[in-house]
Amino acid sequence: MTVTAVRGTDTVAISSTGLTKAFTTGRRRHRRLVEAVRGIDFLVQRGERVAYIGPNGAGKSTSIKMLTGILHPTAGAASVLGRVPWQERRQLTREIGTLFGQRSQLWFELTPRETFRMLGSIYKIPAAALRARVGELAELLDAEELFDLPVRALSLGQRMRCELAACLLHEPVVLFLDEPTIGLDLLAKQRFRELLVRLNEERGTTIFLTSHDVADIEQVAQRAIVINHGSVIYDDRVAVMRRELLATKIVEAAVATPVCFNDMKGVEATEHTSSTLRLVVDTTIRPVREVLDVLLTTAEVSDITVTDPPLEQVIAEIYERPRT
Amino acid sequence: MSAWAPAAARSASRRAARDPIAVAVAVGFYAIVATVISTLWRTAATAHGGQVAGYTGVQLTWYLYFAEAAVTALQQRQIEMTGDDIVSGAIAVEMLRPVSVVGLRLATEFGRCLPRLAACTAIGLTLAWITSGPPVEVAALLLALPSLLLAVACNLAAQHAFAGAAFWVRDARSAWFLYQKLVFLLGAMLIPAEALPGWLHSAALALPFLAMAYVPARLAAGHLEPQLLLLQMGWLVVLGAAAVAVFAAGERRLQVVGG
Amino acid sequence: MTAVFATMRTAFAEAWANRTAFWTQLAAMALNDIVWVVFWVLFFGKVGTVAGWDRSRVLLLLAVITTGAGIVLGLLSNARRIGQLVADGGIDAALALPVRTLPFLLVRRVDAVNFGDMLFGVTLFVVACSPTPQRAALYVIGSAAGALVLAGFLVLVGSIAFFTRRSEVGDLGFQAVLLLASYPVDIFSGITKTLLYTAIPAAFVSAVPAKLIDHVTPGRLAELLAAAAVFSCAAVVVFTMGLRRYTSSAIWTRA
Repeated sequence: MTVTAVRGTDTVAISSTGLTKAFTTGRRRHRRLVEAVRGIDFLVQRGERVAYIGPNGAGKSTSIKMLTGILHPTAGAASVLGRVPWQERRQLTREIGTLFGQRSQLWFELTPRETFRMLGSIYKIPAAALRARVGELAELLDAEELFDLPVRALSLGQRMRCELAACLLHEPVVLFLDEPTIGLDLLAKQRFRELLVRLNEERGTTIFLTSHDVADIEQVAQRAIVINHGSVIYDDRVAVMRRELLATKIVEAAVATPVCFNDMKGVEATEHTSSTLRLVVDTTIRPVREVLDVLLTTAEVSDITVTDPPLEQVIAEIYERPRT
Repeated sequence: MSAWAPAAARSASRRAARDPIAVAVAVGFYAIVATVISTLWRTAATAHGGQVAGYTGVQLTWYLYFAEAAVTALQQRQIEMTGDDIVSGAIAVEMLRPVSVVGLRLATEFGRCLPRLAACTAIGLTLAWITSGPPVEVAALLLALPSLLLAVACNLAAQHAFAGAAFWVRDARSAWFLYQKLVFLLGAMLIPAEALPGWLHSAALALPFLAMAYVPARLAAGHLEPQLLLLQMGWLVVLGAAAVAVFAAGERRLQVVGG
Repeated sequence: MTAVFATMRTAFAEAWANRTAFWTQLAAMALNDIVWVVFWVLFFGKVGTVAGWDRSRVLLLLAVITTGAGIVLGLLSNARRIGQLVADGGIDAALALPVRTLPFLLVRRVDAVNFGDMLFGVTLFVVACSPTPQRAALYVIGSAAGALVLAGFLVLVGSIAFFTRRSEVGDLGFQAVLLLASYPVDIFSGITKTLLYTAIPAAFVSAVPAKLIDHVTPGRLAELLAAAAVFSCAAVVVFTMGLRRYTSSAIWTRA
C-alpha cells in the first residue's frame, strides 16, 4: 500500500530522504567531485522549531537551497508541504518564507511599509487583507513605529524585525531562516528569539533555522539536527542532546573551607579558590549524588548548583564524532 | 623620493599582472575603442582629400591608437574610487601610515597601470601597423613610449587632485564625468588638437589635459618634437604639487572635522 | 497591479527618494551627452560628410541612442548587471519570490543617472532634428526598437555568466555595444560591418533607426522590427536555459 502525501492535511512540513548534492570544483586537470551534501534524512512536523546546525562548510546552505527550490539535488528526494521544491519552486514560494541574514528584502531608501506594499502585489494579497496583516505583524513584532521610518534610519536589530515582518506577510506555513541573528547585539538577539518562539506558539509556523549561535539553539529550537561533512550526525531534542551526549555534570559550590577532591575518580576540580569550587563530574564513573554527599558533609557549603555542561561543548563534541 | 615609491609601484604592477583576465578585458575594450575612432577619422581623411587638420590617414591612425592607449591604461573611474575612499573614511586609515597618502596612492596606481599600458601599447602598435602600415617616423615613435609613461603619470596626478574635492563635497561621480570629457576634448584624445577651433585650441594649450593624450599621440603620428616631453614633465610637477596640496588640505580638514 | 509593475514603481520610488542625488546624476549625464554633440559639431565642421553621414543625421543617431540607452539603462537597469547578479548570487533573491525571474530582475532597479540620457535624447530630437509628426512617430518606434535590441543583447551576453560564472563577458559586451552604437555604422566595412548587424547589433540600436527616421522604407522598418524580435526572444531563451543550468548546476557555488 502506498502512502501518498495529501496537501493541506499532512502533518509533515519538511521531509528529506537521501538528499545529495555533488559539485565539481577546481579547474581542468584538477577537477574533482565534491559531495557538499550526502544522504540527508530527516522529517520535520508542522509546528516544530528545528535548528539545523553544523560548522562552516558542513552543507547547511546547500541543504537550504535545495529545500527552498533554488538548487536541484544530485540524488535523493525532498518535499516541503507536499511539494517537491525544485520542481514547484514558484508555487512553494507562496507557502514558505525565507529570511537570510546576509540578504535584505527591504528597500534601503524606502520605509518598510512601502516594501510591504510591493510584496503585497507580488504575493497577490488584496489591499484590505494586507493592511490587516501589517497591523497584526506590527503588534506581534512590536514594530509599529518602525514601519514608517526609512530602512536606512533603522538599527540592525530594528531592521531584522522588519525583515521578519516582510517574510511573514503572506502567512507562510514554514519559515526558513539562515543566520538571522548575525551581527545583532545581545538584547536584539534575545528579542528576535522571543519573537520566533511567539510566532511559532501563536501561529503554529514551522521554524527551520540555521545558526552558529548556540543561544539561538538553546532558546528557540526544540530540536537540533546537526550536520557535518554533508551528513546528519545527530538529530534529537535539544534537551536530550545535552543530557545524553555528555555524561557530565557541573557542580558549583560556594564553600567556606577548601575541599580536596583529588583522589575521587571521575571528578575534576576546574576551579578551586578558598571560597568557590567548580567540579566537572563524569557521571559514568561517579554519580553526582556521591559527590554532593561528600561536599555537603565535608565542607561548609553556602550555595550549590548542579548544571549540564554548556551547549557549545556538547556541539563541539558532536562535530568531532565520526560519521555513522 | 624615498625607496618606498618605486617599491609600491613594483608590487602593484606585479599584482595587476597576475590577473590576466582583467588585463585582457581592458585591452579588449581599448582595441575596440581605438579601432572605432581611428576608422572614423581615417574614413574622414579619405573623404576629405587625404588629410584632415594636417594629418594624413596613416598619421591619424597612429595618433589615435596612442592617444587611446594613454587614457585607457588607467583604471576607469579612478576619481570615483578615490572619492569613495575619501567619503567612506578609508583614507583616514591610510593617514596613520608614516608615508604621504597621496604619494603612496600615486605610486601604487601608476604601478597598477603598467601591465595594462604595456599590453595596450603592444596591441595598438600591431593594429595601427595592420590597418595603416608602418609608422611615419620611427624616432618619433620611440619618443612616444616614454611619453606614454609621462602621460599616465600626469593623468593620475590630476585625477587625484580632482578626487580631493571629495574631502569637501563628498561626491565624486559627477567630478569624474566632467573630468573624462575634458580629457576627451581638451586632451585631444577624440579629436586632434589641430582640428579644434581657434579659441578651444588656445584653451587646450593653457590646460594640462594635452599632456595626457595629445603629446604621445602627436609623437606617434610622426612629428619629432622632443620639446613636448618637457611640456609633460612641467605639467607633471605642477599636477603632482596640486594633488599633494589638495590632499594635505583635505587631511587637515579631516583632522579638524573628524571622520 | 501586477508584480512587475509594482516592482518597477517601487524601484522608481527608491531612486526618487534621494532627490538631490537624482537630479545631480541626471544633470551630470545630460552634460556628458552634450559633449558628444560638441565633438560631432567640431568633427563635421572639419570634414563635411563621411560615408553618407552628415551632421544632422549623426545628431539623429545621437538622439536615438541616448533615448534607447536611457530607457534600458534607466528603467531596466539590471539588464547590464545580469552577469554580475549571476556571479555573486544576486539571482537567489528573485528565486525566493513567486515571480517570473527575468522580468522581475530587469525592473528591480532603476538608475536615475540614465534618465539624463532620456531627457537629453528627447530634447536633442526636438531641438535639432526637425521634428515633424512623421519623424516624431518614427523616432518613438526607432528608439523603442533600438532599446529592445539593446536590452535583448545585454541579457544575452550577461547570461553567458550562467555558463562561465564570470561576469567579464557581459561587461565587455555592454561597453562594446554602446561604444559601437555611438558611431555611424557605415564608417566600417567588411567583416566588422557585418558584425555590427549580427553578433553585436550596434547598428540596430542607433544607425538603422536614424536612417529610418531620415528616409523611411518598408524594408528598413521590417529589418529593425525583426532585429528587435530576434534579440528579445533570444534573450529570453538563453536566460531561461542559463537559469535552468544555474539551479541544476554541478558547478560549485558560493556556499
